[in-house]
Amino acid sequence: MIEARGLTKRYERTLAVDDLSFTVRPGLVTGFLGPNGAGKTTTMRLVLGLDRPTAGTVTIDGRPHRQAASPMREVGALIDARAAHGGRSARNHLLCLAQTNGISPRRVDEVLGIVGLSDVAGKRSKGFSLGMSQRLGIAAALLGDPRVLMFDEPVNGLDPEGILWIRNLMRSLAAEGRVVFVSSHLMSEMENTADHLIVVGRGRLIADCGMAEFIDRSPGQAVMVRTPSQDLLAQAVADAGGSVTRESDQLRVRGLSEDQVGDIAFANRVPVYHLAAAKVSLEQAFMELTADSVDYHAGLPVSQEA
Amino acid sequence: MATVTAGLARPDAVPALGARAGIAGTLRSEFTKIRSVRSTYWSLILLVLAGFAWTVADCLGTAHNWPHMAAQDKIGFDATQASVTGVALFGQLVILVLGTLVLTSEYSTGMIRTSLAVMPRRAVLYWSKAAVFAAVSVVIAVATSLAVFGVGQILLHSTGQSASLSQPGALRAVLLTGFFVALSGAMAYGMGAIVRNTAGGITASFGLMFLVPQLAKALPSAWYADLDRWLPGGDMLPAITSSQSQPLNPHMFSAWGEFAVFGGYAVIMLGIGALLFSRRDA
Repeated sequence: MIEARGLTKRYERTLAVDDLSFTVRPGLVTGFLGPNGAGKTTTMRLVLGLDRPTAGTVTIDGRPHRQAASPMREVGALIDARAAHGGRSARNHLLCLAQTNGISPRRVDEVLGIVGLSDVAGKRSKGFSLGMSQRLGIAAALLGDPRVLMFDEPVNGLDPEGILWIRNLMRSLAAEGRVVFVSSHLMSEMENTADHLIVVGRGRLIADCGMAEFIDRSPGQAVMVRTPSQDLLAQAVADAGGSVTRESDQLRVRGLSEDQVGDIAFANRVPVYHLAAAKVSLEQAFMELTADSVDYHAGLPVSQEA
Repeated sequence: MATVTAGLARPDAVPALGARAGIAGTLRSEFTKIRSVRSTYWSLILLVLAGFAWTVADCLGTAHNWPHMAAQDKIGFDATQASVTGVALFGQLVILVLGTLVLTSEYSTGMIRTSLAVMPRRAVLYWSKAAVFAAVSVVIAVATSLAVFGVGQILLHSTGQSASLSQPGALRAVLLTGFFVALSGAMAYGMGAIVRNTAGGITASFGLMFLVPQLAKALPSAWYADLDRWLPGGDMLPAITSSQSQPLNPHMFSAWGEFAVFGGYAVIMLGIGALLFSRRDA
């Protein structure tokens, strides 16, 4: 279990992580979401003890990582795929990591097999593609058979097959009862992988809830209704506390469920041709929730003809 | 498609949960690190070759010129020193670079974050790395020093001045030369931990060893005479490589004294490096 309590990190003037409290539980894939610069990587660095918090604490199974007896048995992390000496072969890279924690060289060959790098084990990692480097980083994380796994942007640089592979890997690690904490900015990827979400923006906690709950709670969640009596239904829905916007031949109703809107239409004898929940994707829900906490807004696309 | 399970095919390949990872494993790990990158081999080969090249050139030249040399020069000639000076000079250059690299290359490649994640007790990582590097450099530097001494004495045979290790001061000069080279590496390692940047670390170490003694010469001569024995590098080298019982330069300490002074520099750099390594964000 990863537990953060009042975790705060200030780098000179920027407050990278601001009073963050959350718990990452075993048996689930917990997605760690936030716009660029939201403090995701910093938080993971704090978990690993690479940086010291300005205030607050973060523990792995009740202890700061710096006090872990056998660090690789506790946590395996992929923070940066390129965090390896490029002049060293993949096998030697993993071997020198394994030796610190008394892990057998046999386990090195085993994880090389798991990530599919056995054929290039003797090659220097300098020549690896980003995808191969990611696999090497994942192999390093798996070495100690740890109870907690952390992956920072693991699908970066992976091809579709690799993405599918890592998704299955994370799901099976969670199914084995491990803590799986994974950051990503790819919402569609998270939607398929995560059970639980921790969302941050500008270093602060925005949401900590299940995937379904997160989407249901989104202000974008709406009911679309097509009716010939738009004025009548709009009035009735507004009276019931919903908010209505007109979109061509449909009404978009927020704040009420499909059932409620159907009941209101029936009670007011309004004919309804079509009524359906507008499915919000994780991406839409995320954008709406974090719109105020994005550090780097892109301007409008510049016209090509200019 | 590779199988997905991360579970253990052979559970005994991983120590039991709670088994304490420590110094023994980290020493083994650091030895794997140093032996698995090419820069180690290139630098050490360069150290040995350069040391030999200097010795051969210097001793051959001396042997060739010997019949024409002034009597005064012949009296001051130290065959031991002549054979090991090259190792002290070139070995120092090379080892300063390698000593810096062992740590700063972890910063430049990002490896340091992985290293600290698997061994978050920083003092263990810092001192294990230092110990492995020191052991490797002592072995190489002392062996090279002994070897060039042997070669040098053969080349100097015709002068009738060649030394043997049983002569007073000869073994001391040969060993101190090797240890001085290793100690320079340790100093550079500490400097690397302070600067955390390869180019910066090398520049800082070279500055300390070569520039500081030169700059000190600008001081009033009385001050310089008092200060000289305390300066790293510079006049320290002839004092350490000398086989004489008394220092030729009256302002200097004895060979052991100068070696101890330089040891002080190394200890200070290693200590500051250790402190910063433990405290700073990685």
